[in-house]
Amino acid sequence: MQTNYFILMHHELIIAITIMLLLVIKVGSDKLSNQLVANVTNGLLLASLVLGFIVQPEGNVFGDMFHTDGFALLQKNILVAGTLIISLQASTWLKDYEHTAEFYILLLSTLLGMCFMISSRHFLMFYLSLELSTIPLAALANFDLHLKRSSEAALKLIISSAFSSGLMLLGISFLYGTTGTLSFGEVASAIQLNTPLQLFAFVLIFAGFGFKISAVPFHLWTADVYEGSPVAVTSYLSVISKGAVLFVFITVLFNVFALYAHSWYYLIVIVSLFTMVIGNLFALRQTNIKRFLAFSSISQVGFILIGLSGGTHTSAASVVYFIVVYIFSNLGAFGVIALVQGLTGKENINDYKGFYLNNKMLSWMLGIALFSLAGIPPVAGFFGKFFLLLSGAEKGAYWLIAIAAINMVISLYYYLNVVKNIFIDKSDTSIEKLPIAIQPRIAMIICVIGVVGSGLCGGLYQYIFDLVK
Amino acid sequence: MISFEHITKWLQAWLNAHMSPILVLAVETVLIVILAIALFAVLGLVLVIMERRVAAFMQIRMGPNRVGPWGLLQSTADTVKLIMKESIVPTHADKFLFNLAPFIVMIAAMLILAPVNFAQRFHIWDLNIGILFITSISSISVIGILMGGWASSNKYSLLGAMRSGAQIVSYELSAGLSILTIIVLCGSLKVSDIIASQETGWWIFKGHIPAIVAFVIYLIAVTAETNRAPFDLAEAESELTAGFHSEYSGMRFALFFLAEYINIFIVCAVGATLFLGGWMPFHIGHLQGFNHVMDYIPSSIWFFGKTFFLIFVIMWFRWTFPRLRIDQLLNLEWKYLLPISMVNLLVMTVVAIYHLHF
Amino acid sequence: MSATYILFWFLSALAVVSALMVLFSKNPVHSVLWLIAVFFAISGHYILMNAQFLAIVNIIVYAGAIMVLFLFVIMLMNLNKETEPRKNIWMKLAGAIAAGSLLMILVSLVGQATELSHRNLLMKDGDIGLIKNLGKILFSQYVVPFEITSILFLSAMVGAVVIGKKD
Repeated sequence: MQTNYFILMHHELIIAITIMLLLVIKVGSDKLSNQLVANVTNGLLLASLVLGFIVQPEGNVFGDMFHTDGFALLQKNILVAGTLIISLQASTWLKDYEHTAEFYILLLSTLLGMCFMISSRHFLMFYLSLELSTIPLAALANFDLHLKRSSEAALKLIISSAFSSGLMLLGISFLYGTTGTLSFGEVASAIQLNTPLQLFAFVLIFAGFGFKISAVPFHLWTADVYEGSPVAVTSYLSVISKGAVLFVFITVLFNVFALYAHSWYYLIVIVSLFTMVIGNLFALRQTNIKRFLAFSSISQVGFILIGLSGGTHTSAASVVYFIVVYIFSNLGAFGVIALVQGLTGKENINDYKGFYLNNKMLSWMLGIALFSLAGIPPVAGFFGKFFLLLSGAEKGAYWLIAIAAINMVISLYYYLNVVKNIFIDKSDTSIEKLPIAIQPRIAMIICVIGVVGSGLCGGLYQYIFDLVK
Repeated sequence: MISFEHITKWLQAWLNAHMSPILVLAVETVLIVILAIALFAVLGLVLVIMERRVAAFMQIRMGPNRVGPWGLLQSTADTVKLIMKESIVPTHADKFLFNLAPFIVMIAAMLILAPVNFAQRFHIWDLNIGILFITSISSISVIGILMGGWASSNKYSLLGAMRSGAQIVSYELSAGLSILTIIVLCGSLKVSDIIASQETGWWIFKGHIPAIVAFVIYLIAVTAETNRAPFDLAEAESELTAGFHSEYSGMRFALFFLAEYINIFIVCAVGATLFLGGWMPFHIGHLQGFNHVMDYIPSSIWFFGKTFFLIFVIMWFRWTFPRLRIDQLLNLEWKYLLPISMVNLLVMTVVAIYHLHF
Repeated sequence: MSATYILFWFLSALAVVSALMVLFSKNPVHSVLWLIAVFFAISGHYILMNAQFLAIVNIIVYAGAIMVLFLFVIMLMNLNKETEPRKNIWMKLAGAIAAGSLLMILVSLVGQATELSHRNLLMKDGDIGLIKNLGKILFSQYVVPFEITSILFLSAMVGAVVIGKKD
């Protein structure tokens, strides 16, 4: 019985131990090499990842507070893998950074929060772990300590996340008031149709989720925060934290509010339409590559929401599959951007003119990642979007699919515009050949294999689909 | 033997016999208010004269010796002077808050009296979270101090209020932790339960080294919390004129001044309750004869004796230690006292779990 | 009308009025002080529900510690009417309309919520807010959220130290 706790919570325990270890290391010695800290953390993350694939327990501890099964473990593994990639990519930046240990402490706290959030089957637990996964991120957004825009990003992030948590908390308290319980299972069975207050509670909770995944009426913080934060944090924000919230969103929508499926279907369809269109239109006119990726990530969320609108096992599986693909492709793009920005300080799209001339490997990397984000067939992004649209079409809303297809075409334009800058345009001031350290190189290889492999390997989707059921 | 307990019981019975329940409640409330105010006045007078005499004793001089027999009426005369004086409000002050601040400090001090056991079964309201109530209400006085300092619209006042606030908020932590150390032993937050648990001996004797450590930390922390020397940075005369009450005069000043002394009394009363057994007489093991002699001394005398002993110790501090700088003060709390009291609390928990205490 | 009822309405009115004053005060220091009044009113509600421990903790944590820090910051910033940024009148109008609509929806929803109508507040004799029961439930059923909170505070502290040590 006692060991059961440790096995069921192994992801969380390893991450928590890493946090404590880093704290002790930091407090214990002033002079420690950043490389050592990074290597220790990466090693433990890798251990957690490997363990996550080998040991697959199932069960509940502490009542509804912590639940784990194959699906939850898969989600946690995805997040841990993404964090590992980001950590490898950030090593160029962290090499000379004075707060490396703190960076990892905060990063892993948020990861811990996300793992608990995925495993929670109780609104209190869910809310607290959501806070744990956002508040340290605001501090992280400020880690370019000498930059004013970084402070601005942190402040915008903390205020918008506090506001959204407030909305969500109000919704949860209405839910508690009307049902008298906070456990997901009990709330789901206590919910009734035609109770306006519960519907209102759902709307508030939905708005809270909307902020976290930056769906359109709630997206205003995204671009500024992404632009101001350090690149590693931006990639973490756009991929890992968004992915974690989406995973929980699936649970909340499909399990807790299953009875309201008819109502939230329209809500999600409308939000996803706006998200796609506005994300795309704004992405068209960006010149800063981080802002550009911010808006492109908004429009990707629109596609994900289409997948969610299906409301079946297929759509859950397709969303998870897309997030895997999205993590690989977006992190591939961010890895290159992090390198360029870290070594040259350039982050405008125009700076990438003639990039191919000196940096063949990086160009191909960025190119493949952008192709995947755009959804061009040979790479995985195409299959991801294909499955999303397929599950969205299950309800028979073909006009929605048509609009999504039009949006894909628009997005193709701006993704290819960047690709054109890299490969075709000439420039007198093109970026010199950049040295790539071993860790980012590993991260990039993983990303390329991921982008290409997850598309070609058809078993992956089937594997996820089986886990969902 | 006449004790406070008998008097209150008799009064209660007499009132119940002659009036309706609601009226009894009203009369008792009025009585309590009168008694509390009387206690405040007497305490203020006594403590001020005591402070001056102790100071004089430490510095080998006479102290007040003209007004009344042995100078005992000096503080009465001072009070009359303060009441007669004009109370000036600065032109740019925030009038409402400026007037409100002394009352908030005073009300906070008054509220804290509620759970204190003055003698055997003699208290105002023995609520089941008494000690916690005391710590929480004592944190309210910070608001009054900040309010007064800010509303004076004087930079010295503001700085004094800030220092005082920082000091009180930080030293509250270790005071609270050392209180918790004893709570762990008693297993109750109710003041009468805490005293009852010391029937066989006071915690400072029974609780081994952690209790003594907690006692020392408590004394240091409350000295700082009441803004007294060597922690009187809030009103360091040479730097800030008089700190947060620079602009106060007349009766408003007197209220701040009084509240300060009442707070000293209360923290010492709490210290006496937690560590020195409240009104419990001093007993030594199985020396029956000695113990019986001790039992003959009324409980109220035991309580006030212990409290005044602690007050004397705190006054003693004032004339013994030089004043700290603000950074030294915060370092002392956050780098030394707080970690020590946390470890101490852990040690005490082990002691309590394995019943290692006497 | 028993004393509890009178107190309930009095405390509710106090809380609402103080909360409104927080918004309408021109001076931020006054706002903070009104906010303290709100916390006291809420503590009063806790006491009515016989949750004495919660009431006291509410005072210690909010009125005693957090609000004091608020006061520190605001007093040192010396904000006043002149430093307040001027907002566009249309923005104000839009905000008022949006918030007003939300309030209207909220009131009408709570008004017609049948599932709330027959629920009574456990006054005076509820014992879940007493320290013993609260401690037991906190360290058994809710121990994971409790520990998560501690990690949250730890990481918030680490973040604050890093940002604060900027210079």
